[in-house]
Formats: sequence, structure tokens, C-alpha cells
Amino acid sequence: MEGLLAFWSESGIANFTVGQIFMMGVGCLLLFLAIAKGFEPLLLLPIGFGAILANIPNAGFTDEGGLLYFAYHVGIETGIFPLLIFMGVGALTDFGALIANPKMLLLGAAAQFGIFATLLGAIGLNLIPGFEFSMQDAAAIAIIGGADGPTAIFLASKLAPDLLGAIAVAAYSYMALVPLIQPPIMKLLTTESERQIKMEQLREVSKKEKIIFPLMVLGLTILFLPAATPLVGMFCLGNLMRESGVVDRLSSTAQNELINIVTIFLGLAVGSKLSADKFLQVETLGILVLGAVAFGIGTATGVLMAKLMSKLSGGKINPLLGAAGVSAVPMAARVVNKVGLESNNQNFLLMHAMGPNVAGVLGSAVAAGVLLAVLG
Amino acid sequence: MEAISEQLTDALGIMILGMCLVFVFLSVLILAMKLVAKKYAPEPQEKKRNIALQPTASKPTVSPLMAAVIASAIHQHRQKA
Repeated sequence: MEGLLAFWSESGIANFTVGQIFMMGVGCLLLFLAIAKGFEPLLLLPIGFGAILANIPNAGFTDEGGLLYFAYHVGIETGIFPLLIFMGVGALTDFGALIANPKMLLLGAAAQFGIFATLLGAIGLNLIPGFEFSMQDAAAIAIIGGADGPTAIFLASKLAPDLLGAIAVAAYSYMALVPLIQPPIMKLLTTESERQIKMEQLREVSKKEKIIFPLMVLGLTILFLPAATPLVGMFCLGNLMRESGVVDRLSSTAQNELINIVTIFLGLAVGSKLSADKFLQVETLGILVLGAVAFGIGTATGVLMAKLMSKLSGGKINPLLGAAGVSAVPMAARVVNKVGLESNNQNFLLMHAMGPNVAGVLGSAVAAGVLLAVLG
Repeated sequence: MEAISEQLTDALGIMILGMCLVFVFLSVLILAMKLVAKKYAPEPQEKKRNIALQPTASKPTVSPLMAAVIASAIHQHRQKA
């Protein structure tokens, strides 16, 4: 009998708290979104499962010595996982479209306004009782507007580790929701005739240009913004491995095996931050709302900047391209292509949108560097 | 309350500074890219095509005499068969 009682007192049923059950529900919701809806499955699936594991009573996954504890401690607290992912993204990115049309960098810059506007918004939320965001917290939340998962996790792990779970979940969910969030904003800010603008074919880009580009980006970052060099440096390393053509094995590892392995552990470790005591707070709600606002503002300023450039260039630039200035590669570019096709079924904007899209990755890394330099 | 308005001013400052820095950084990058493009950009496609076409058009590799010889050789060959 005593044995049975001991067994019962160790069982999950006897130890569940309401919060844990709720957070398991959140984990299941993420799994549902990943599996049934296909939203960012590569990340939401491990994050959702991590959330379930982290909330099992008496399993000790997140206690010192547990698997998720170490995954978080080794990979995220140190910032290593997001940086390895960034190297893989660099190896996956073709800068050809941007090199052919450097002006697109301005769109990638304009879309970062979402980040800085949200910084203001997060501090403004402090006016409501119950919210107490420090400037560091606000910056970590604001970076959600950059629509770049690894950058958001990197910055949050440096500035506001307590909010990391909510920020990572918000960043990846909104990236998955790009096809729903962006089109209404894009259509609101452009006219039918603007959406129909066709763009000239991009020029060819030489191999030398592609090899020099990552080195040049790194050089400028070293000179002006050393705080961004962890992100930009790893990104450029991945890209140089890709473009140099002499280390195909390394490049293929970075963009396949390595990024996949890191994604599994990154997802689990982020999920482990979805424990009831950390996540079920009023701040989380604020973060989710602010993240959506950040995203919307970034899209809007990108489109407005593209409109301005379109006017100045005499109607050679389709303003829809501005929406691709938030990073979210390649989702945002695909959305631009889709909305463009709705207005003119002969107008393929995908290649043109890849320019501002990869510019957005650089822009959000630079913005993260600025925030780190000012607040870190 | 005062603390919040102070924070708001700080945030506004960071916003302006941040946007300026992002724009300046990426603008410098644009300039640098244009410089690199000047030196290393490949020739536009049309020019290349012209260069490739010209030699075949202006320099016939088979002389008229040779062409006549070949033509008659083919003619003879066909008659044999």
C-alpha cells in the first residue's frame, strides 16, 4: 500500500498545476499550427514539444542537470545557437538580386522603423499598471519587428533573458503569419496602378562581386558597428563559404546538417522557456500585441519608402517591394510576388523582392547591433 | 510618472539615433557596392552578344573558292550514291 501511495504521489496526475496544464495546451496549439496549418513547422514543432516537456511535473527537464536546462544554458544563454543559425542562413542566401540593385538596401533600412517605433510603444505600455518594461526589455521586444527569429533570440538572450520565451514565440509566430498580416497593409497603402508596375530585368552579377560583398559588409561592420559583428560576422562567413566555391562541403554542411541540428535544439531550448511561471504573465500579452504592431509598422514604412522611391525614379519601382524589407526570408518576398500577381498576372516580382528581403536581414542585424551598442 | 516620461524621451532618442545609424550604415554600403560594381560588374549581355556575333559576320572562315570546291564535291558524292 505504501508503495502504491509513493507511486501515486510521484505521478503526473497528482502533481499537475493549472498553469502547467495550460502551458501544455499552448504547446499542443503550437504543434497543431505546425502540423495541421504548416506554420513555420521547422521551429514551431520543436518549440511546441519543448513546451510540453518543460511543463511535465517531476521530470526535471528544466532543472539543473536536465536536457533542456543544458540545451538552453549552452546554446541560448551564450548566444551560440542563433549565431550558428545565422551562419547557415548566410550560406543559404544569394545576394545576387541585391548586388544587382543596391538601392534596395534603403527599403531594408526603412522597414526597421517598426523596431524603433515599438521600442517607444513598449515603454509607453508602462503607463498601464501591471507593465514594467525596462529599456532593455523594450529593446528585446522591439526587435520582433525585425521579423528575424535568430536576431530576436540573440538580442533577447543578451538584453532580457527572462522574456526570451515569449519573444521567441512571438517572433516565429508572426513570421509564420506574414502571409496574413502583410497583404492588407500593402493593399491599403498602394493603388492598383502602382501594384501593376513592372520592373526592369536585373543585371547579371559577377562571381567577384558576390565574393567581395560579404567581406565588404563585414569590413563596414567592423569599422562602424562592432556590436553587430557576432551576427553579421557569422552571416558573412556562411555567405563567403557559399560564394567562394572552394569549400562546398562546409557550405553544404552549414546550410543543411548543421542548421538542422541546431534548429532542433534551439526549438527545444526556446520551448523550455515556456514554463508556466515565466510565460503566464501579463507581460506576455503585451509582448504578443507589441510584436504584431512592430511587424505592421515595419511593413508600412517599407511600403511608404518604396512609394517614395517609386515617385523619385519616375515609376520604375513597384511599391509592393517595400513590404519585403522586413526580413522573414523568403516568406515576405513570396507575399510580395503573390500580391503583385493578383494585380497583374504577368508581373513576377519574386526576384526583385529578394533584394529588399535580404537587405532586411542585414538591416535588422544592424538595428540589433545599434540596440546592443546603446543598451548592452 | 516622471520616470516614464523620461524613459519615453530616451526611447525617442534611441529611435531617431537608431534609424539614422541604420540608414547611414546601409547608405555607405550602397556606395561601396556601387564602387565594386564599377570595377567588377560583368559587361551587359547585349554587348557580349554583339562581340560574339561580329567575328562570324565580318570574317567568313571559308573562302568562296573553297566553298565552290566543297559544293561540287558534295554534288559528285550525291550523284555517286
